[in-house]
Amino acid sequence: MTEQRPSQAEVANMAGVIERLAGELALAEEPACFIVALEGEEDAAPDA
Amino acid sequence: MPEESLTAIASAIRTRTLSPVEAVEGCLERIRKHEGRIRAFITLDEEGALRRARALEDDAAAGRWHGPLHGVPVGLKDLCHLEGLPTSCGTRIPGYFASPTECTAARRLLEAGAVSLGKLNMTELALGAFGDNAHHGDADNPWHAGHATGGSSSGSGAGVAAGFFAGAVGSDTGGSIRLPAAFCGVVGLKPTYGRVSRAGAMVLSWSMDHLGPLAWTARDVALMLGVMAGRDPADATASRRAVADYLADIDGGIRGFRVGLPENYFFQGLDPEVANGVRAAARQLGELGAQVKELRIPDAQHMTDVAMLIARSESSALHSAILREQPEALQPTVRARLEVGLAISAHDYLQALRLRAQLTRVFVRDVFDEIDVLLAPVAPEPPPALAPLKAGTTEAFNARSGRFSSLTRPFNGYGLPALSVPCGFSKAGLPLAFQAVGRPFDEARLLRLAHAYQEAAGWHRQRPRL
Repeated sequence: MTEQRPSQAEVANMAGVIERLAGELALAEEPACFIVALEGEEDAAPDA
Repeated sequence: MPEESLTAIASAIRTRTLSPVEAVEGCLERIRKHEGRIRAFITLDEEGALRRARALEDDAAAGRWHGPLHGVPVGLKDLCHLEGLPTSCGTRIPGYFASPTECTAARRLLEAGAVSLGKLNMTELALGAFGDNAHHGDADNPWHAGHATGGSSSGSGAGVAAGFFAGAVGSDTGGSIRLPAAFCGVVGLKPTYGRVSRAGAMVLSWSMDHLGPLAWTARDVALMLGVMAGRDPADATASRRAVADYLADIDGGIRGFRVGLPENYFFQGLDPEVANGVRAAARQLGELGAQVKELRIPDAQHMTDVAMLIARSESSALHSAILREQPEALQPTVRARLEVGLAISAHDYLQALRLRAQLTRVFVRDVFDEIDVLLAPVAPEPPPALAPLKAGTTEAFNARSGRFSSLTRPFNGYGLPALSVPCGFSKAGLPLAFQAVGRPFDEARLLRLAHAYQEAAGWHRQRPRL
C-alpha cells in the first residue's frame, strides 16, 4: 500500500467533508447567495 | 508619546500640543532602538514619513486639516500597493505585487492625514498563523522575546504593541488580523466581508480576504474603520451600504446586549488559561449590564473545512506562477500550503462555495435570533515560543498553524465582523484575547462592547517592556 503524502490526505479529508455536506444542498443554492445572506433582503441604502 | 493610543495622538495634534513631526520623530526614535529585535518592518520609509510630516505641520499651521488622522503615524502591511515603495508580500522578491490602483484602504487613511512609516513584516504571501518569515526575519513578540507575534499581519500587531506607530492595516483570510492582535495584546478587527475595499491589496483568496485596522483601543479601531470603510468602484465586492458612525454611540454602554458563549466547538481542547480569560471577560460584560448566556451554535467545523478548501483553491490559482516557476523562492511551509490547492477539484471548490452560502444563512439566523454578540477565544493557546515550532517538520508546523487558525477561520467563511480584544495575560506574561462576533455590518455594536470592556478592565493601559 502506498502511503499518502500529507497534502493528499488533507485534500482527501476536505473533499470528503464537502461531498457529505453538499448532499443536502438545494438546487437553488449558488455562491452568490452568500452575499444575499450578508446584505439581507432589504435594499441597503447606497452611501452615494 | 509613541506609546499613546491613536486617538490620544490625533487629539494632541489637533490641539497643537504635539506636532506631526514630533509624533513621527518619536516613533522613529523608538523604531531605531528596538527594530533590531521586533522586526516589524520590511521597508522603513524614514525620509518619506518625515517629508510628509513636515508638509502636514505646515498645513496645520495654516489651518488646513486633512482629516481625523492628521499627522498620526501608521504602518501598512506589505501587501498594500502604494506608489513609490515596493510590495514584497513577505516574499524575497521586493516587487512581487503591483496593482493598477493603489490600495484604497491605505490611501483613505493617508487622505485623512495619516503618515505612513513604511511597509510591515508579514508571513510570506500571508500564509501562516505565527508570524515567521525566512526572508525578512521573524517578527518578535514585544511582550515576551522568542514568542510568536501571530500572523500573518505580524508587523502590524508587533509594531502597534511596540509603540512604533499608532495604528496599522492588516489583512485577514483565516485569522491574520485577529491572531497578531491577540498575540500582541492590541485590538484588531476583521470587518464584515465587503465592508472595507480590498482593491490594491495582494489577493490571497478573493472569497475570504478582508482588510482591517489594528490599534491599542476599540476607539482607535472605530476611528480607523470609519475612514477605511465604504464603497469603492475599484472593488466589485465592496458593499454599497452606508458606513456607520462608529464613534457616535461608542460610549453608550452595553446594558441589555445579549452576549452568547458557544457551548460547542470553540472551547473544545482549549488551553485553560485562555478559557478562563474569555470566561472572566464574559462575567465582566455581565457586570456591565449585558445578558450573558451559553448557547449551542451550528457546528463551526463545517465552515472551517469549507473556508479552508476555498482558500486553498484560490490561493494556489492566484500564486501559481511563483509556485511553478520559482518554487525554491518560497519557504517550504508556504510552498506546501500552496501545493495543497493544486489537487482540489473544480467540483469540490464549487460545492464548497455553494455550501458557504447555506451555512452562512443558517448561522446568522440561528445564532443572531438569540443573541447580539458571540464571544469566543481567538486562539487555542497563548502565543507559543517560535523556535521549537520551527524545529519540527513542515507538516507538523502547518498542522499546528491550522489548529491556531481553527477558531478564527469560520468567521472568514461566514463573512461576519469579528473583533479581537485583549483580556489579560497568562502566568508567563503573554497576552490573552477574546473575539466578539456580530451580525453582518454590525461593527458598531462590537466596538461599543469592546470599548465598555476596555474601560472597565483596563488591560489596554499596560505596555510591554522592550
